[in-house]
Amino acid sequence: MTAQLDRQTLPAGFFDGVAQCYAPPEELAIDAGLSLHGETAESVDPITYEVVRYSLLNTNFEHGNLIKRLCVSPVVMIALDFQTSVLLEDGDLVLLGPNLQYFSNSQSFTAKWILEHRSANGGIESGDMFLSSDPFVGAPHQPDVCVSAPVFVDGRLFCWVANVMNHTDVGGNTPGSFCLSATDSWGDPPNIPPIKLVAGGQLQTDVEDMFVRQSRMPAMARMDLRAAVSGNEFARERILTLVERYGADVVKAVMRRSMDAAENLFVERLRSIPDGTWSHRAYTESDVPGDDGIYRYQVNVHKRGDRLYVDNEGTDPQSGSINCPYVAFVGAVLCALTQQLTSDLGGAYGGVYRRVTFDPIPGTLNCPSHPAAVSPAGAFTTEMNINAAALAIGRMMGCGDDTVRDLILGPVVPHAYGVIYAGAYNDGTPFIMINSNGITGAGAGRPGADGIDAGGQYWVPEAITYNVENTEAQQAVLYLYRRFDTDAHAGAGKHRGGPGFVECTIPHHAAALQISLYSNESFTKGPGLAGGSPNGRAWLKVMRSTDIRQRLASGEVPQDLDSIAGANEQTYFKGAPIDVGPDDVFAWSFPTNAGYGDPLLRDPAAVATDVLDGRLTAAEAAEVYGVVIANSIVDAHSTSAKRSEAFAARTGKAVDDNPAPRSGARRVSESLAVLENEFVCARCGAAVGPAMGNFKDHALQRRVPITDIGPGFDGGDPRMSAKMEFREFFCGSCGVRFDTEIAAVDDEPLWDLRIDPARS
Amino acid sequence: MSYYIGTDTGGTFTDCVAASRDGRLVYSKSLTTKDDPSRGVLAGIDLLAESLAVSTSELLAQTDRVGHGSTVGTNIIVEHRGARILLLTTAGHGDALFLMRGGHARVVGVPREMVYSLHDTNLPPALVDRDRVVEIHERVDAHGSIVAPLDEERARTSIGLALRDHQVDAVAICLLWSFKNPVHERRLAEIVTELAPEVFVSQSHQVSPRTGEYERAAATVINALVGPASTTYLERLAENLSDRGFHGALHTMQSNGGVVPREVAVEQPLVLVDSGPAGGLRGAATLARSQGHTHVLATDMGGTSFDVGLIIDGHPVVADDKTLARHTFTLPHLDVQSIACGGGSIARVDQHANSIRVGPESAGSEPGPACYGRGGRRATVTDADVVLGLVRADGFLDGRMPLDSNASHVVVGQLADQLGLTVEEAAAGIIKINNSAAATLVRQRTLEEGYDPRDFVLYAYGGAGPVHAFGFGTELGVKEVVIPLGNGASTLSAFGIASSGVAEYFDTECSLRAPLDSEAVAVTVAEAEQAAWNIVTDQGFAKDAIVIERFAMMRYAEQFMQSLAVRIPDGPITDGSVQQIMESFDAEYTRLYGAAARAVFQAVEIFDIQVRVSVPLEFSDRLAASDSGDHDPSPVTGARHVYWPDAGEWIDTDIVDGVGLRADMTVNGPAIVELPHTAVAVATGQHLRRNTIGSLVLTMNEQVQS
Repeated sequence: MTAQLDRQTLPAGFFDGVAQCYAPPEELAIDAGLSLHGETAESVDPITYEVVRYSLLNTNFEHGNLIKRLCVSPVVMIALDFQTSVLLEDGDLVLLGPNLQYFSNSQSFTAKWILEHRSANGGIESGDMFLSSDPFVGAPHQPDVCVSAPVFVDGRLFCWVANVMNHTDVGGNTPGSFCLSATDSWGDPPNIPPIKLVAGGQLQTDVEDMFVRQSRMPAMARMDLRAAVSGNEFARERILTLVERYGADVVKAVMRRSMDAAENLFVERLRSIPDGTWSHRAYTESDVPGDDGIYRYQVNVHKRGDRLYVDNEGTDPQSGSINCPYVAFVGAVLCALTQQLTSDLGGAYGGVYRRVTFDPIPGTLNCPSHPAAVSPAGAFTTEMNINAAALAIGRMMGCGDDTVRDLILGPVVPHAYGVIYAGAYNDGTPFIMINSNGITGAGAGRPGADGIDAGGQYWVPEAITYNVENTEAQQAVLYLYRRFDTDAHAGAGKHRGGPGFVECTIPHHAAALQISLYSNESFTKGPGLAGGSPNGRAWLKVMRSTDIRQRLASGEVPQDLDSIAGANEQTYFKGAPIDVGPDDVFAWSFPTNAGYGDPLLRDPAAVATDVLDGRLTAAEAAEVYGVVIANSIVDAHSTSAKRSEAFAARTGKAVDDNPAPRSGARRVSESLAVLENEFVCARCGAAVGPAMGNFKDHALQRRVPITDIGPGFDGGDPRMSAKMEFREFFCGSCGVRFDTEIAAVDDEPLWDLRIDPARS
Repeated sequence: MSYYIGTDTGGTFTDCVAASRDGRLVYSKSLTTKDDPSRGVLAGIDLLAESLAVSTSELLAQTDRVGHGSTVGTNIIVEHRGARILLLTTAGHGDALFLMRGGHARVVGVPREMVYSLHDTNLPPALVDRDRVVEIHERVDAHGSIVAPLDEERARTSIGLALRDHQVDAVAICLLWSFKNPVHERRLAEIVTELAPEVFVSQSHQVSPRTGEYERAAATVINALVGPASTTYLERLAENLSDRGFHGALHTMQSNGGVVPREVAVEQPLVLVDSGPAGGLRGAATLARSQGHTHVLATDMGGTSFDVGLIIDGHPVVADDKTLARHTFTLPHLDVQSIACGGGSIARVDQHANSIRVGPESAGSEPGPACYGRGGRRATVTDADVVLGLVRADGFLDGRMPLDSNASHVVVGQLADQLGLTVEEAAAGIIKINNSAAATLVRQRTLEEGYDPRDFVLYAYGGAGPVHAFGFGTELGVKEVVIPLGNGASTLSAFGIASSGVAEYFDTECSLRAPLDSEAVAVTVAEAEQAAWNIVTDQGFAKDAIVIERFAMMRYAEQFMQSLAVRIPDGPITDGSVQQIMESFDAEYTRLYGAAARAVFQAVEIFDIQVRVSVPLEFSDRLAASDSGDHDPSPVTGARHVYWPDAGEWIDTDIVDGVGLRADMTVNGPAIVELPHTAVAVATGQHLRRNTIGSLVLTMNEQVQS
């Protein structure tokens, strides 16, 4: 493992933001002509500190609120697919807004690149703003356009304010700019490196026109861009007002001290975790539509003392359009880290970032080299990297003390499942809409609680879901239903995942309707932590030539797609756009999130409540949880017998009904502990191999086809699902499920929990 | 002599105000009687009669109108004591109220600092149990066309079964697009009434006729939850008043800042919920008008929260999006926004930054600040006030509640020790931070409206407002702070209720895009106006007393988070008035966001016509507080050491009896003006005088900060 850290260092300037993704160096090469404000007041009293800190926090909030009021893209103002930041003079993050969290360092990378490449030629001056959409610099993908404003005090660069927002269309070969069929940069929207949009306070209309010209929705692009400019103007004014009142050195001191405070808190939490390495390997399918390959993304988190080191070793080479720009990969990891470990910092995450070092392997799916196609990253691969990072970090936190373990939020579902609608109304007016309702989200099960039902995705925690009426007001569609998903097998666990939802829709007053960027997955992609069941499989179903019109006319609104007469059409994970005719019906799911811990450990009373709430049938309660419900109440005796039977079925022998853990063991997961350099079962105390090795080698393994997890897990393309399997790792003695894995049939089990030998 | 009486039932006190037609005011404060709040109201009215030296029946016989506001509805929702209800929805959409609006629902009404914290926040509890939702087969589309007719027999059967399985007091009906075509909703209401004639029925197209099934369902359900209890309570109050000789009209306060007759209110009790802050803002508006103040920052700092409303050009600012019990819905209401910042806000050390944080956590009134001696062990803003001497330990609540000054010193001292500060430095810091947070909210609100706070007069009321206004007023750079009605500041909401006219709002959604066709606008506005007129005249108001105002709710097309209310010129709609509407929009947008933000390339749209119907109250502008006439020639009653936060030192400070203060007398800072329910701190360089209506006016220092 140390070998990874000692990997041959690449030449300085290798990650240049041109041929390779930009990775900012420790020391930026800034032209001497640009003067930076680096002074910090020696001491700031605790009261002034708090007043200035609170003002900075509010400035960042107000910056975002102004953008929401002025922009016209629903994906920005409703789905909150944007972010605002305050950065130090050298581009380091001070404060992140509450919006899209994996944009965490996008503005920082962009500002640093501008400092290195524009300070000599072009210049960085008071009143300037730069536009950038280059994913090889700092844009998470091309639609995420960054507008950065340097803030000057007395002729010196004091700090930066910046925003990133997802524009609805910035060009490329597909409406909405998620270009699934692109295989290189020339099928993607244009990569625009930082360019001066505002010079000395004057909006450069030539630059604005150049940008707007790329869009299928030029008026919208212009409105949104101006909202970004207004937001920065506002934030800059507020910062200057603070500087005027308290002095530049004091405001700068507060910025730095808030970073120190964040760093202190992070280090304190990190200290309860032993040194080690935690990993996750996630799989996706189809690098372009029609491809039948499966692909790996790997995140490895190494903890050494008071620092984290992150690499992507194990990730496949870059391919098709499933590449995740490095800036988005870093953003994904930092998002999974800060949201779980330090969400009480109120966005002041800069100090946490100081303690995380990245060591990427270039030319890979999550650190691609130019000219890789990356535009679909915002819907697919970035989320997959958050999922992978969250699982790796969750495993790491599972080895911490109870306080740290309780902060685990678990994974987010592996993609931002959704649908793009495009078409024309009967009167010929065209429309495009990104159905971003996936941000309704569903929380994963976690150590202390079930996942939240519709509590958002924590990479965009405040996002607003559309009402059905909002969508119907703007698009030529009509919903038959939108309801919670009820797949009992998805997300089962000691603490179950929150349910996803299903939307079923027909065209309405549409001259033409096409759906794209949908997902009918061949296999589920997200396992649970600590033995919890995986999240559900996302699906899309299309029924052709149905009797829906007659059914509606007769006063019935069909509530089950399978009850509608028509022809079911096979769809794909990334199929071509589908034309939907007037008598067709389509439905899609946002899957239920993953569970935490073995479902057989779930409190029977909680299972009974789920049955009462209609989440499970009594039969499913027995099958999935081993809980016997009679007349709405738990039959304790039968449940105990049923569970013993289920544990025994795993081990193939009778099990102890009252297992006792070994005292003195330190937990490293829900059902796994370490005692005297040995893994032991936290439930029954049985030995599970040396603590320096992979416990999976000493656990009982069961492997089943990925489609056999439950009825909802089948229905995709068998070419890909046949390549995947679901693996469970049990205690050979008591049968408890330690962990699970979703893996390619030929891949070895991943060594994903490694604890370093204790240093004396 | 004839009177208007205003009564406001709060959590602890019931406040009453009687205003005579000639502008004389008397106040009373009695304890709220939770089991039957009308008893507290009657006790308060008894006290008013006593002040006026008449019997209660004499007073009530001379009273034209009793206006009443209460927290009854709010408490029902917050404490989950609502009626037993069913919710009827369109088939396929029974989960809408539970899906809410995704993660956003987690942070609605949550303090900014906690918005990020996924660990400490959760979704609000559902307003209704899922098994009480009945899905009905029917479908109307966005244009109001019927896509699937209502299957009446099937509906009757499922409603009948649900009524049989559950005991129900009320039924809420919220169908998709019902506000575009209410025929199915109305028919279901009829079926419910046929099946269960006694139940209260709440229909979404009446309660909140706006796009968005989650918000509309939330409004309709809350209306149903509070419906039966509000009806019973208001009927009892009316009976009790009538028994004591009252023959005038009983009006109820609404969150929109106007009152409506009780008979109208019980049809749609949602409008009564959360009327308290509106009463305060309305009271401030009435006083501001009498003083010629057109731009006012109306602030109310209490034990747990700091509320801010704005008065611009004499009118309180109105908003549509309302939050209650962390659920959001659409209802025009006076826009009073709130942060957790008050006397009970808890101060703590941020060990990682070595600094002090104040709030958002609050000690509330139980256990309250440490000095209350009820078990509070953490330093609060009020404890800091006691340490500094801004609040006198034996003078709190007119001396009825002695404070434990030692306890304040201990808890603030512990905080100070951790930071290496003196106890007074720590206390001063707590006050500064709290004031800065208060000023930040006020500044945000004025900036959102496109104004500079320095152009406003600050009104400060609530238990903790007057004592801190010297600080946050300075922070905001205002020239003048008004403590409205002096000691009457603590009953300002009751005064506002007494002085409010009738107001009702009616919304009609539409989609009129520029270039605006004046005929289309005329037709839409005429229909909206006629519908409102029909309803209001049915309610029995004299036609010549009714005032109608019309507003176009506007934005650039697709700016869904934007809403600018543009007043439609009175009279018939012509090409000229349409042009005026467009010019007003352009001017307002430019004023708010700058000329660069204006977009000539994006169509402007009117998305809603809002009709405000009012019946103004004849209320004197020549207010005069009742005057004891018993003035001390020198109101300075003593002096004590006060540690002033900005000066950073102990200064000999005059103590002034605020009740004995004459109208022409000026108090020079540093001074503390003590009143039975609050105290006004006057810092060095500031001056205070009492005006003719009993308000205390604090003039700030000459040099102001931005």
